[in-house]
Amino acid sequence: MVYFIAKRLVQSLFVMLAVAFLAFSLFRFVGDPITQMTGVETSVEDQERLRDELGLNDPFAYQFARFTGDMLQGDFGFSYRTRQPVAEMIATRIPATLELGVVALLISLFVGIPAGVYTALRPRGAATQAILMMTLVGVSIPTFVIGIILIFFFGVQLGWLPTFGRGGTVNLGGWDTSFLTVDGWRAIILPAITLGVYQLTLTMRLVRAEMMDVMQSDYIRFATARGVPMGRLYFKHALANTMVPVITIIGLQFGGVIAFSIVTESVFQWPGMGLLFLESIRFVDIPVMGVYLVVIAFFFVLVNLIVDLLYVAIDPRLRIRDVS
Amino acid sequence: MKRDIGKSMLLGGALSLAALGAHAESFNWASTTDPQTMDPHAVNSAPVLSFLNNIYEGLVRRGQDMSIEPSLATSWEPLEGENGWRFNLRQGVTFQDGAAFTSADVMFSYERASNEAADVRSWFAPVTEVRVVDDFTIDFVTSAPNPLFPSSIANFMILDADWATSNDAALPARDAENFATLNVNGTGPFTVASRDPGVKTVLTPNATWWDDAAHNVTEATFTPIGNAATGLAALLSGDIDFIQPIPLQDVEQVESRDGFNVLEGEETRVIMFGFGHEHDTLLYSTDVTDVNPFQDPRVRLAAAHAIDLASIDRVLFRGKIEAANQLVPAGISGYSEANQNRPDYNPDRARELLAEAGYPDGFSFGLKCTNDRYINDEALCRAAASMFAAVGLNAELSTGPVRDYWPQLREDDFDMYLLGWSPGTFDMEHPVRFLLHSQDDEKKLGSWNFGNYSNARVDELLPLVQQEIDPAARQAMIDEIVAITQEEVAYIPLYTQPLIWAAKDNIDLTQRADNFFMLRWVTVN
Repeated sequence: MVYFIAKRLVQSLFVMLAVAFLAFSLFRFVGDPITQMTGVETSVEDQERLRDELGLNDPFAYQFARFTGDMLQGDFGFSYRTRQPVAEMIATRIPATLELGVVALLISLFVGIPAGVYTALRPRGAATQAILMMTLVGVSIPTFVIGIILIFFFGVQLGWLPTFGRGGTVNLGGWDTSFLTVDGWRAIILPAITLGVYQLTLTMRLVRAEMMDVMQSDYIRFATARGVPMGRLYFKHALANTMVPVITIIGLQFGGVIAFSIVTESVFQWPGMGLLFLESIRFVDIPVMGVYLVVIAFFFVLVNLIVDLLYVAIDPRLRIRDVS
Repeated sequence: MKRDIGKSMLLGGALSLAALGAHAESFNWASTTDPQTMDPHAVNSAPVLSFLNNIYEGLVRRGQDMSIEPSLATSWEPLEGENGWRFNLRQGVTFQDGAAFTSADVMFSYERASNEAADVRSWFAPVTEVRVVDDFTIDFVTSAPNPLFPSSIANFMILDADWATSNDAALPARDAENFATLNVNGTGPFTVASRDPGVKTVLTPNATWWDDAAHNVTEATFTPIGNAATGLAALLSGDIDFIQPIPLQDVEQVESRDGFNVLEGEETRVIMFGFGHEHDTLLYSTDVTDVNPFQDPRVRLAAAHAIDLASIDRVLFRGKIEAANQLVPAGISGYSEANQNRPDYNPDRARELLAEAGYPDGFSFGLKCTNDRYINDEALCRAAASMFAAVGLNAELSTGPVRDYWPQLREDDFDMYLLGWSPGTFDMEHPVRFLLHSQDDEKKLGSWNFGNYSNARVDELLPLVQQEIDPAARQAMIDEIVAITQEEVAYIPLYTQPLIWAAKDNIDLTQRADNFFMLRWVTVN
C-alpha cells in the first residue's frame, strides 16, 4: 500500500514536470510581461534592461530549466506584478478555492445522489420529469450565466445574499475559513451552487443510470423476494453497488471543479486561486501562472490517488486482490 | 429553540443597525484593477498612482479641474541664473508615523524615484541636479528651461527618508517585495488600515493631515472587481457605494433605478488610427504588395473622410463621445484652437482622393485593434472597417488583447492600427514627444510613434516647445505642429473617450478628467 502511494507520488512529479513544460512553452504566446509592468512613459532602454533582469531574453530551454530547478529547491519565485513571493500568494488563495470546491461538491452529492435514487425508482413520476428537465437546463446554461442570474435574483432583486467576495472569514492558523461566520456562509452559498450545478447534474444522472441498471439485477430481485425492507434494499444493497463508477467520475470531476472554478471565482470576485490566475494572465505574470498550473496538476494527481484509495475502501473485492 | 433563533435574529438586526449608525460615513468603492503595489515609485500606472494619491502627496497636486495647486510645496519659482525651479516647502507637515517633513525627504524621494529601479524615472529625465537649500527649500536644476516641470511632477510622491531606509525600502522593489510594497507612510489625507492584495484594502483618514478635510469619510474600503457584471450587481445591491468605470451598455440599467447616479465626463484620452508611415510595403494586402499606399497623404486623408463618426457615436457610444481633431481634447493646455477642423464624413471625396492617388478600385490592408483596452474598441474597429470598405479600402481586421498588442506594434506588424493616448502631463507637448517626433531611442523620443511618422520641422519644434517660457510663442509653435500633422494626416484622431462612473445618489464625489478618484472629495450624505 505504501509502495503504491509512493509510486503514484513519484509519477505525479513527472506529470507536473510535463505540465510545467507545456505551460512554459505557451507563455510566450500570452503576451509581453514588460509592457504590462511598465508605464507608457518608460523608455525602451529601461524596458530592455528590465527584460534582461528578469531573464526573459534567455533561451527557452534555459528559462525552463531555471524555473523547474528553482521550484525543485522550493523557490517559487516572485510575481512580476506585485513582487510578492508566488508561494505565499498561492497559499493564501488556496483556502478560498478549496472551501468553495468542497461546498460545491457536498451540495452536488447531497442533492445529486438522493435525486438520482429517486428518479431511478420512479422513472415515470411527474417529479422525476421535472427534475430531469431542470438539470438539463442547469447543464446547458454556461456557468457564468448561472452565476449572474443567481446574483441578480438573490443579490440584487431580493437582497438576501452578498453579490461578491467571501464575507467574513476567520483565520485558523494561517487558513482563512468562511465556515465560522454567518457572513462567510451567506457569501459561499451562491458561488458554491454555481460551481456545483454541473457536478450535481452529472452525479444525479450517473446515480440514476447505475441505479436503474442495478435494480434489474438478479440479486436485487432475490433480495426483494426475500423481503428485505425497501429502505435497506435501496440504500444499502443497490446504492452501494452503484458507487464505484460514481466515485470515479465525481473524484475526477472534483479536480476539474478546483481547476475550473476560475469562471465562478471571476463572476463572484471570489478571492481564490482561479481569480489570481485570471489576473495573472491579464498582466502576463509568468511566475504566478506557471506555479498555479503546476499546483493544479498536483491537485489532479492527488485527487486521482484518493479516488483509487476509495475504491479499495468501498469494494471489498479489490482488497482481496491487493492482498493476493 | 425556534424562539431563540428568532431572538438572535432580532438581536443581530439591532446590532447591524447600531453598526450602521456608528459607521454612517463608511464608504465602499470598487474598480476593475487592484493597485499592484503601495510603493509610489515602483509603477507608473494609473490604478497605482490614482490610489496612492489618497495616501501620499507630491510637491504640487491637481485640483478638481486638473489645475496645478500647492501641496507639499507652498510656492515655486524659476531659478535665477540657471534653468530649473525652486520649491518652497510647507512647514509643520508630518508623515503618518509622526516624523516631520523636510527637504531631506524630497531629496531622498527624488533619488529613489529617479533610480533605475523606479518605473517613474522618466519624469526626471530633464533634471540634472537637485540641491537642498535649507530645511524647507529645494532646487531642481534642469538641462534647459522647463516651464512644464512643476506640473509634470504632480504624481511624484514624497516618502519619509528615515522610514524608508530603516525599513530596507530605500529603493523600489525590483525582485522581491519590500516594506514599502505593502506598507505606507505618507503625508496625505488617508492611510491604509489593512490590506489584502487583490482582495480588499481599508483606508482611514489621517488625523494629522495638514489640509482641511473636505470629505466626511471615516472608513473607506476598496475592492477590486474585475468582472463588469459583478461590479454592477454589487452597486445595485448596495454592497458598494461607488464604482469606476461601468460599461456603456449598463448606463441605462443604472439610470433606470432609483437611488443611483451615473457620472459622465470626458476622459483626456483621444482614440485614433495610426499608419505604418515608414513601411515600404503593406504586410496584409492581397492586391497591393509592392508599395505602401498609406505613404501618400491623399490616401490617409481618404481614410479619414471615410469615417462616419456621427454614426459611430450614435450606434456604439449612445451619443457620449466628443469628436477629436488633434491628439489632445479641447481644454488641455497647448490645445490648438487654430486647428479645430477635422476631415468630415465624405465618402465621395474619399473615393476621389483614392483615384487621384492611383487606387480607383481601392486596395486591401490589415487593421490591428485591441479588444480589451479601450471602451468598445473591437466594435469601433468593426464599424470603421466597414466604413473603409465602402470607399474601397478593404480592411482585414485582426483584434487581440492588449498584453499581446504593443509587442506586435513595436515589431512593425501592422498596416494601420488603433491607439488611445492620454497626455500624462495634460499638455500637448506629451503626445508630440511620444507620438509625433521621429523614433529616437537615444533621446527617448517618439517611443510610441509605432509607424515612425517623421517630419523634420516637427522634430525641430519639439525642443523649442519644451523650453519656451512665453505662452504665446509656445502656442504658436504648437499650432504649427498641429497644422503640419493635420495637413499630412499623421494620425486620424477620432474622439475623446467618455468616462463613466456610477454611485449611489447619497454620494457626492468629483470625477476628474484623468480618471483618478480622490477620496478627499467624497461626501456621504
